[in-house]
Amino acid sequence: MDTLSYLIAGFGAALSPANLTFAIIGCVLGTLIGVLPGVGPAAGTAILIPLTFKLDPTGAIIMLSAIYYGAMYGGTITSVLLNVPGEAASVITCIDGYEMAKQGRGGTALGIAAIGSFIGGIIATMALVLVATPLSSLALKFGPPEFFALMLLGLCLVTGLAGRSLIAGILMTAVGLLIAMVGIDPVRGAPRFTFGMPDLYDGVGFIPVVMGLFGIGEILATAEKPYKDVIKTNLSNLLPSAEEWRNSLGAIFRGTGLGFFLGLIPGVGSIIPTFMSYILEKRISKTPERFGNGAIEGVAGPETANNSYANAAMVPLLTLGIPSSPTIAVLMGAFIINGLTPGPFLFQEKPELVWAIIASFFIGNVLLLILNLPLVGLWAKILEVPYQYVCAGTLLFCIIGAYSLNQSTFDIWLMLGFGIIGYALRKLDLPLAPAVLGLILGPQLEKSLRTSLEMSAGAYDIFYTRPITLVLLILSALILVISALNLAPKEIRVSED
Amino acid sequence: MKRGWQLASLGLMALFAYAIWLSANLPLIDELGPGPGFFPLWLGIIGLLLGTILIVQVTRAPDDGPSVAELMPDAAAFFRIGAIIVVLAFVTLGFEQVGYRITAFVFSIAVLLALGARSPVAIGIFAVCASFGVFHAFYYWLKVPLPIGTLGI
Repeated sequence: MDTLSYLIAGFGAALSPANLTFAIIGCVLGTLIGVLPGVGPAAGTAILIPLTFKLDPTGAIIMLSAIYYGAMYGGTITSVLLNVPGEAASVITCIDGYEMAKQGRGGTALGIAAIGSFIGGIIATMALVLVATPLSSLALKFGPPEFFALMLLGLCLVTGLAGRSLIAGILMTAVGLLIAMVGIDPVRGAPRFTFGMPDLYDGVGFIPVVMGLFGIGEILATAEKPYKDVIKTNLSNLLPSAEEWRNSLGAIFRGTGLGFFLGLIPGVGSIIPTFMSYILEKRISKTPERFGNGAIEGVAGPETANNSYANAAMVPLLTLGIPSSPTIAVLMGAFIINGLTPGPFLFQEKPELVWAIIASFFIGNVLLLILNLPLVGLWAKILEVPYQYVCAGTLLFCIIGAYSLNQSTFDIWLMLGFGIIGYALRKLDLPLAPAVLGLILGPQLEKSLRTSLEMSAGAYDIFYTRPITLVLLILSALILVISALNLAPKEIRVSED
Repeated sequence: MKRGWQLASLGLMALFAYAIWLSANLPLIDELGPGPGFFPLWLGIIGLLLGTILIVQVTRAPDDGPSVAELMPDAAAFFRIGAIIVVLAFVTLGFEQVGYRITAFVFSIAVLLALGARSPVAIGIFAVCASFGVFHAFYYWLKVPLPIGTLGI
C-alpha cells in the first residue's frame, strides 16, 4: 500500500464513531487543561492517561494526542484574558494578546489564534504525511550507534537551549539520565540502584515524575501567588477585519514554516518556535513599534508556529521514537503503556494504527476550530472558577493518575517528592525539561551505547567511522559549543514545556 | 539566588558522588562489553566535574538575583504550600486503608479550607462530587481500580 492508501484507511479508522468521540473528548479536555492555570500540557496529559486504560490502543492514543494539541491551543485563552500563559508556548502571546484584550479586541485575538492554529496544524500535518514514510524508511537503516548519536543530539539541543546556564542544563540532563538508571539493567537484566525495594525494579515511573515536576510543582508555585482576575473584553467579534487579515496572513504562513521546521528537530521545545516567530515578525515589520501594543501579527505568528510545531513534533516521535518535549515524552509513555514502541518499526508493524493517529490530527485540528471559535465565551467563563477548586480538583486527578498506573501508593509518594523538587527547581530557575527528556531517553541511550560498544568489541571508533553517526555527533558538539559561547539568541534560551 | 545555586550545586555534587560510589560496586566491563556500572559511573564523573565548575562559576559571579530570603514564600503562601504537601502526605498514608471516597472527601475539604475557600455549600458539593462522583466515574465507567477501604467505602 502507498502513503495515500494508508492515509485513506487511517481516515476510515479515525472517523469511526468511537474514535471520533475520543478525539472530541480529547480536544475538550485538552483545551480545558490549557485554560486552567497551574496545569501544563505535560502534566495534564499525564494526569488523564488513566482515562484511556480501558480503550483500545488506537482510541487511547487518538484521545491523548487530542488532549496534547487541545492543551497547546487552550493556553492561548489565559494568555489573552489573564496575561498568564496556560502553557510555556503561550508566553509570547501574553505580550500582544493581552494588550488586544485591554483594547476590547480579545475576541479577535482568540479568533486569529484559532484560525492560525488551524492553518498551521493542517499544513504541518500534510507535511508530516509527506515526510513520515521516507523518514521512517531511512531510520530503519539506523543501527545502535546512529540511534545513540541521534538521542545525544536531541539531549544536546534541549540542554543547549535550556535556561541561562549550559552547565546547569547538562547537570539536569545527567540527573534525568541517572534516575533512568534505576531498575533492571536493560542489557544484562540485573537490578541496579534499587536498594532492595521491589517498587523500584521497574524503574522510577516516568508518569509520576512528570506529574510531580510539572503538575504538583506548578500547583505549589501557583499557590504562592495571588490569583489574577479575568479581564472583561469583547468576545463577540472573533473574526479579524480586512486590514487585520492582511497583517496576519503572512505571519500565519511564516509561523507555519518555522513551527514545522523546528518541530522536526528533536529536542527543540515548544517555546522556541513561538519566540522565533515573534522576533521574526517584529524584525520584518514596517511598524515594529506596534509590537507590545496589540499587534495582531504578534498573536497570529506565534500561535500558528505553536500549533504547527505541535503537529510536526510528532514526526521525530513517530518515525524515530524520539520525543521533542516533555509533553511528547508523556505521549511516548502512553504508547509504551499501550504496548507500542514509537519509531520506524511501528510503521511496519502497525501501519493501520499509525495512519489512524495521523488522520486524527487532521480531524482534531478541524474539531479544535469548531470547538474554539463558538465556545470561546464558555472557556472564558471557566477561567472564573475560583482557583482553590481548580487546585483541589487537579491534585485529586494527580493522585488518581499516579495511583492507577500500578495500583501502588509508592507512585503517589514519588509524585509528591518530585513535586517538591520541581517547586524548588522552579524557584531556583533551574530547567526541568532536560531532566525529563534525560529520564525518558536514558534507557534507550544507555542501551544503544552499550550495544554499539559490544558490536565494536569495545572500540570507540564505531562512533566516528560511520558517516551518519559522525555527522550527528559533530552537530551535538556544535550545539554545545554555540551554547557555551552564548551565540544562541537570548530570546530563545528557554525551552520548558 | 547565588546562595540557592550554590546549595543546589552542592546537592547535585553529592548525588553524583553517591552515584559514582554505587556504580563502582557494579560490574563496569564484562565479557560482553560495558557492564551495568559503566554508564552511571561516567554520568557520575561528568556530573561531579560539572557540578564543581558550576559552584566555582556561581561563587565567582556577582550576586545580581534575588536572595534566598526573597525566594522564600511569605507566611500566608508558606502556609498554603505546606498545607497542600501535608494533606497530600496524609492522603497517601491512608489511601489504601481508608479508601478513595473518604480520603478524597476529607482531602477536598482540607485543601479548599487551607487555600481560602469559605462557602460551606460550595465546599460540600465539591467534596461529594470529587469523592463519590469521581469514584463512580472511574471505578464503574472507566474501570480504573481505585482503593476501597477496610470499611468497604
